[in-house]
Amino acid sequence: MVLKLYGAPFSTCTKRVAMVCIEKKIPYEFVNVDLATGEHKTAVFKAIQPFAEVPYIDDDGFILYESRAICRYLEEKYRGQGTELAPHDDLNEIALYEQACSIELCNWDPFAGEAAYEVLIRPLLKQPVDMKVFEKAIAKLSIKLDAYDVILGKQAYLAGDNVTLADLYHLTWGVMLGLAGSDIMTQKPNVTRWFKDIRARPSWLAVTDGVTSRLSYE
Amino acid sequence: MVLQLFGSPVSTCTKRVAVVLREKKVPFELHPINLASREQKSPEYLAKQPFGQVPYIVDDGFVLYESRAICRYIAAKYAHQGTPLLPSSSDLKTIALFEQAASIEQNSFEPYASKCGMEKVIFPRLGLTTNQEAYDQAHQTLDMKLAVYDQILGKQKYLAGDELTIVDLFHISWGVLLKAGGSDIMESKPNLARQVWWIEITSRPAWVAVKDGVQSVEKY
Repeated sequence: MVLKLYGAPFSTCTKRVAMVCIEKKIPYEFVNVDLATGEHKTAVFKAIQPFAEVPYIDDDGFILYESRAICRYLEEKYRGQGTELAPHDDLNEIALYEQACSIELCNWDPFAGEAAYEVLIRPLLKQPVDMKVFEKAIAKLSIKLDAYDVILGKQAYLAGDNVTLADLYHLTWGVMLGLAGSDIMTQKPNVTRWFKDIRARPSWLAVTDGVTSRLSYE
Repeated sequence: MVLQLFGSPVSTCTKRVAVVLREKKVPFELHPINLASREQKSPEYLAKQPFGQVPYIVDDGFVLYESRAICRYIAAKYAHQGTPLLPSSSDLKTIALFEQAASIEQNSFEPYASKCGMEKVIFPRLGLTTNQEAYDQAHQTLDMKLAVYDQILGKQKYLAGDELTIVDLFHISWGVLLKAGGSDIMESKPNLARQVWWIEITSRPAWVAVKDGVQSVEKY
């Protein structure tokens, strides 16, 4: 049975999973969850995803949520197919990959997410926008990206010389920062090079305008 | 050469690593970093940890930072000694549910518990004012997330399944600061599943040994 991805077409976390499916050439059926009408808050949905968040997958009856956990599962299950997105054998290589994954979650996501959410998501929810929140988040992010610039001055990607899931996770908020009015992703030389590289990946381009089913690959 | 842990004896993230080192019976030498004098922002420190954060380890020349990455590395490298802290099965679905739990901790517990801890415990220690509104908002969100924890822990013993893993231990260092900040959210309601889990993991000798400060351990 084909993998089912339950989510919202423009949700950052749903796009993250769809992108990895495409990198790994995994056919999937996208099933829309209507966030606008609160479908994710219904008892039926919460029985499957108790935090009332998208996305989740149904892989032949196996339910999994948390986008990064889903991405890791798909990388592991389809090892050897499509792009390799994580090291699997060497303890130290794996450790540096886990370090990169943790960097993304602790030093990127809270600040990039806060900035993009303030300017781009709040208006969609008819909430007032506080530009001071945006500016403060960008200022904090800039300091973090100084460290990224040091790291990426020594290696091509965040975990080493090969692209991994840790790099791809940055795309969803990263492209939104430009739309939100910040040029921070083009300010520091190595960060600029790295971000330009990952955002040109066909798998990202395929989900930029929204997630749809992908049932075959040539 | 014995593992070197560079961190602050009372830092939440340094304690997180120390708990796992102790559970796995790995000797280590603590090199205290003086956060008050901003030693972590010195050029020497930044050369090893470019974000200027504690802790990092040096394991026979191998440098690693980010406390959860260090914990995963220790748990994997020393899988055959001490407390098992990773799923015993290498079954794909078991590992996936472990990763789901790891992600839950980082997305649904850490941001809110750490916000509460920073506002009510850390900031006052640094002579900064508590933002009560920020605390209340974080605390309220945490309460909602913990209601889901009760559902999960009502069906299985630990967050990833029926086996203890590093993910459960990750919660402790910020979690205990909730009580220190005046919240009984973790242990107040005996009929909630979270309480049994919380009391068990915070009673573990490895945590008790580091809760008041991390010290080097030459042997076990």
